[in-house]
Amino acid sequence: MQELRELAKKLLAEGAVKVVVGYAEGRQGVRPIFAATPEDADKLIFDPRCVQNLATYLSPRRAHVAALGKLAVVVKGCDAMAAAGMIREAQRKRDDFVLIGVRCGGVLADPRASAAVTEATVAARCPGCEVREPKIVDHLLGPLPPAPPGASALDARIAELDAMTPEERFAFWTSELAKCVRCNACREICPMCFCVRCVCDKSQPQWIESSPHARGNLAWHMTRALHQAGRCVGCGECERACPVGIPLSLLNRKVARVVAERFDYVVSDDPEKPAPIGTYRLEDDQEFIR
Amino acid sequence: MTRQMFISESALKSLAEELVKAGTRLVGPARERNGDLVYREASDLGEIELGGDPPTRSLKEFFLPPTEVLLTYRQKQGDVEVTPAPHVFAPLVVIGARPCDAAAVAAVDKVMDWDYHDELWFGRRLATTIVSVACGGGDASCFCTAVGLAPDSAKGSDVLLVPVEGGFHAEILTEKGEALVKAHAARFTEGGKAEAAKAYRDAARGKVQANLSADPAKIRAFLEAGFDHPIWKGIALRCHGCGACAFVCPTCHCFDIVDEPDSIERGTRRRNWDTCQAAKFTLHGSGHNPRNEQNCRIRQRMMHKFAIYPARFGEILCTGCGRCIRVCPGGMDLLETLDKLGRLPAGAPAEAKRGAP
Repeated sequence: MQELRELAKKLLAEGAVKVVVGYAEGRQGVRPIFAATPEDADKLIFDPRCVQNLATYLSPRRAHVAALGKLAVVVKGCDAMAAAGMIREAQRKRDDFVLIGVRCGGVLADPRASAAVTEATVAARCPGCEVREPKIVDHLLGPLPPAPPGASALDARIAELDAMTPEERFAFWTSELAKCVRCNACREICPMCFCVRCVCDKSQPQWIESSPHARGNLAWHMTRALHQAGRCVGCGECERACPVGIPLSLLNRKVARVVAERFDYVVSDDPEKPAPIGTYRLEDDQEFIR
Repeated sequence: MTRQMFISESALKSLAEELVKAGTRLVGPARERNGDLVYREASDLGEIELGGDPPTRSLKEFFLPPTEVLLTYRQKQGDVEVTPAPHVFAPLVVIGARPCDAAAVAAVDKVMDWDYHDELWFGRRLATTIVSVACGGGDASCFCTAVGLAPDSAKGSDVLLVPVEGGFHAEILTEKGEALVKAHAARFTEGGKAEAAKAYRDAARGKVQANLSADPAKIRAFLEAGFDHPIWKGIALRCHGCGACAFVCPTCHCFDIVDEPDSIERGTRRRNWDTCQAAKFTLHGSGHNPRNEQNCRIRQRMMHKFAIYPARFGEILCTGCGRCIRVCPGGMDLLETLDKLGRLPAGAPAEAKRGAP
């Protein structure tokens, strides 16, 4: 903790950055802080309640954050993957920001929780994580905690869905997506949803109906899932932001698994590794073109 | 003077049974499969939770649904045929509404009957009887007492129930409330239990008051004078502009109207929820956006709720339900913001310092 605060103060004092985006104690649980002064830097913390993906504040869409000047961002492995994704997809340059990496042993599902990381409390995305020590970062802090315990609840749920008939699976998703009110929270919080103009906002022609009815909701969530193929960092922020509790992580992880199987590609914090969505390879399977 | 009565738990259950049997829709806070508490249609009072946490979404969707059809159209060469949607406003009784949600619909009534009388809103309002249950004081996100309401506020309710031993002290507040009592007269006993209810009400009020004591008049004075105050520069840094706050808010009522083609010749006009927190909300056809960053959009949200609406309609457009705080993935906290704004002197922007949000 002290290491993090001292580093933040140093970066601010040297003028290397204008603001350090990190985590701080809020009135109810942990939340992001934009530290611009030594006093603010003393509020920085990192512990298992730090669930938010702060790399999302690097998105070029966030004009009010960009206006602050150069940022340093505290990143866990999953957050570092998002920063790398923005570099990979030419949204930001590596020198545009400073990354303060923190070694991570998994986080809780809820930033308001106060429990220790156990099999019962760990965020579903964490077990099996392979980026607990992000490599792309400028600074890497803290000792490496034990690996997140248990197996991912997401994998178990995906196995259940895979075992369903297509009709049953469709019925499951129809009932989940029926809840969607199209607030776009899933899109707005996502670090990889950085388009200035989203396809779902286009009205001439209107590709995706904006109404929260069965057809519009299915079109939106299918499109989003496919746009995230080989790009989603699995941080689960979309699901956490969803005010109606749609299990979006299931959709994203399933798509990520298909990409891994078909294109031998897993999202990492290496921005040099080209992603399948922007790459053509002769050896890619073509059997779907008949 | 409202009429005071008593209804036992079992009598309330029977009342609900009678409503359902007569074909009236029964709505109340009930659990979804995933554990979420939401207002939904129930077939039995047993499904309804009469106390505890506020449902994740508010009651507004029963008056302003997330999407609704306004009309269908058919277009062939020069001919256009328009068919208004056949809206039917079936009788509905809400049992277990939280007082903050009942108060919200009463506040929104004002704008729905302003320059335009919204027939769909009032069609549903007239068909609905709201039986609220006084809240026990909520959680750390609740601040109804700071916006002039209370956990036992009667605003917007037709009947207010206050939990007492064995049942509820019932206050019959409106003609619709009287009609409900008349139709189920055998379920109520005269007199009420006001004494017994008082302790519950006082405890609940005290609990919420401890969360925030802000003066709405001071907040409004600041907002009216402080449009260019430096605080707005950093107010929304952690905000993602996701709009979840507005979608779960019981008083946010902005909507968008869209035409969606069903085929080349036919289509449907719908109105859908929208929010001033979305960048596209104020995007002009020219490409100019007068609220071009999230700080401006949060300011708009604050201004609308705590200055513009009170100036125009004499009411704060916030019931202190705390949903926006509970739902925010970025940790924005309206209670904290109101506390901060309430302490700022109106019209003295130079003295303010931007703290870390």
